[in-house]
Amino acid sequence: MLSGGVAFLYVVFIGLPVLALLVRAGQQGGFWDAVTGETALSAMRLSLLTSFVSMVVVVLAGTPFAYLLARSQSPFARTVDTLVELPIILPPVVAGVAMLMAFGRGGLLGPALEGAGVVIPFTTVAVVFAQVFVAAPFYVRSAKLGFQSVARDYEEVSQTLGVSPWATFWRTTLPLAGPSVITGLGLAWARALSEFGATLMFAGNLMGETQTMPLAIMTAMETDLDNALALSVLLLAGSAAALAAIGVAGRRRWTGRA
Amino acid sequence: MASGTGFTASGWLNCRIGSFELDTHWEVGPGSVMVLFGPSGAGKSTTLRAIAGLVRPVRGRVEAGGRLLYDSESGVWMPAHRRRVGYLTQQYHLFPHLRVLDNIKYGLGRRRVAENSPTTGTRVEELMEAFRLEGLEQRYPWELSGGQQQRVALARALAPAPDLLLLDEPFAALDGELRRTVRRELRSVLSRAPVPAILVTHDREEALALGDAVQVIDGGRPVSYGPPLEVLGQPGQARVARLVGVENLFRLNVDSRNHRDGTMSCSGGGIRLEAPLDDTPRHEATVPSAVMVGVRASDIILASAEPVGSSARNRLRGVVTAVESRPPGYAVMLALLNFEGAPLVCHVTGAALDEMGIVAGQDLWAVFKASSCFLVDPDGRAE
Repeated sequence: MLSGGVAFLYVVFIGLPVLALLVRAGQQGGFWDAVTGETALSAMRLSLLTSFVSMVVVVLAGTPFAYLLARSQSPFARTVDTLVELPIILPPVVAGVAMLMAFGRGGLLGPALEGAGVVIPFTTVAVVFAQVFVAAPFYVRSAKLGFQSVARDYEEVSQTLGVSPWATFWRTTLPLAGPSVITGLGLAWARALSEFGATLMFAGNLMGETQTMPLAIMTAMETDLDNALALSVLLLAGSAAALAAIGVAGRRRWTGRA
Repeated sequence: MASGTGFTASGWLNCRIGSFELDTHWEVGPGSVMVLFGPSGAGKSTTLRAIAGLVRPVRGRVEAGGRLLYDSESGVWMPAHRRRVGYLTQQYHLFPHLRVLDNIKYGLGRRRVAENSPTTGTRVEELMEAFRLEGLEQRYPWELSGGQQQRVALARALAPAPDLLLLDEPFAALDGELRRTVRRELRSVLSRAPVPAILVTHDREEALALGDAVQVIDGGRPVSYGPPLEVLGQPGQARVARLVGVENLFRLNVDSRNHRDGTMSCSGGGIRLEAPLDDTPRHEATVPSAVMVGVRASDIILASAEPVGSSARNRLRGVVTAVESRPPGYAVMLALLNFEGAPLVCHVTGAALDEMGIVAGQDLWAVFKASSCFLVDPDGRAE
């Protein structure tokens, strides 16, 4: 009885604000106008573009890295393993400050970057940097667990059947770790899409260049509630889509079945 | 089905894993099966893994299919996927995301052989038929029984026509009847393919049924090699005898030698046995000498009263101390009268156990022929 009551309260606590957001957005009436407004469109375009580029970077760099972490037993790898997860618990604002200290004009690499004529802070590239920094750990962690769940024996048997280690990865390891990899990608994408603190610190809030959807919502809240609500509903839809993708991926689990 | 090589696989290896050192050698002719027999931790699996290229030895040389796969001297190290060495694990490791047909075709390569080339098709069909897998093509591994999984794993290992087949306790996960069926199938498939095979097991029956030769390995070193019946039936060394599971060993003294019958009388610890004559020259035969005599538990007959008019030379009286299940039958422990050594282990069938009503505390006679006894070299010198 008690646990049932607690569960009910929990669902109301999570569900009510979400419901309220949808109801208020529906009452505003100007939803479509707000969604197709210039501020919203530019924020959406930028969010989709940057989060897509971030995911490409995360997958290309994170996949081999996650595989190495999963297979290595050295103490060094274990230390790195812990470090990888730091951004998950680090406040995003701190991440933004840290990135400024590294890549900013007065940062560690500042002089070198300036010498090469490269400017990163307060550009679209900075948005991608911030997203990769905070989102990559979600992907690496999940993919690593996925690769760990694939027994080495499968890879060894594959190789004794004449299949090279590279082809073995594509034909056996990746398909078997697939559900975890997709889950990680979904989590990382959702995290990148919702990135706010680090972006604000490191990339600023310039419309069309660094103003992603969360930043646009914050800006709109001060002047135009319609816009803020419309963008919020869109982000909510994006999060729901990521959640659905994770759910579908989670249903296909191979390992441990045969 | 022919892998078409007809080459002998041979080599030697020195491997170190932690503090364990493996020092072994082998030679297996085309179409024959060498059984690697020994207790767990003897180095059997490591030997297979090193041959397959999954473990890097310190020194050694591995040859199969007329090719040099590894040679520490000339620095040759072929990676596992180029060795053409088939490897079957105890748990099969069928790819869970692939259907039976795709599991079997896995090693046939996508680029090397076109998807529907006649060679691929025929080969897969032959294997499906040989292992009675028709109709299961579209199943996933978890939809198969243990025996079927085992057959798919064998078919998959044989599909790319390996130059050497390594089988690591391939029947360990199967039970009794199924084990024998799959064993027969493997035997018939191997007899048609001229591929040398090394089979790891610690099951005597399996070694006798499949092996053309047996190598007993212990503590990382081969201790005996020869035809299965010779090595496993009446092993000549105490150490090997214990490894292959000779249940009863006696340290006795020779009392007299009977050259006419080819037997000798031995006694010690309170019992007397007739055993086959040793090869001590006749003129030295007056000197009493110590021997070790082995008797297999399955060669002993139990009787509830002293058998009279029996041709069996050895009749020992004792009390049953325990009855243990040893599938497919039972082991009866018999504490011999006036004997201070370990109880005699005798194997009986369930039917015999019931019929005689054997229980602990019962008085029984153990009977066996002199020729069931064999002499074991007590020093256990490695050959």
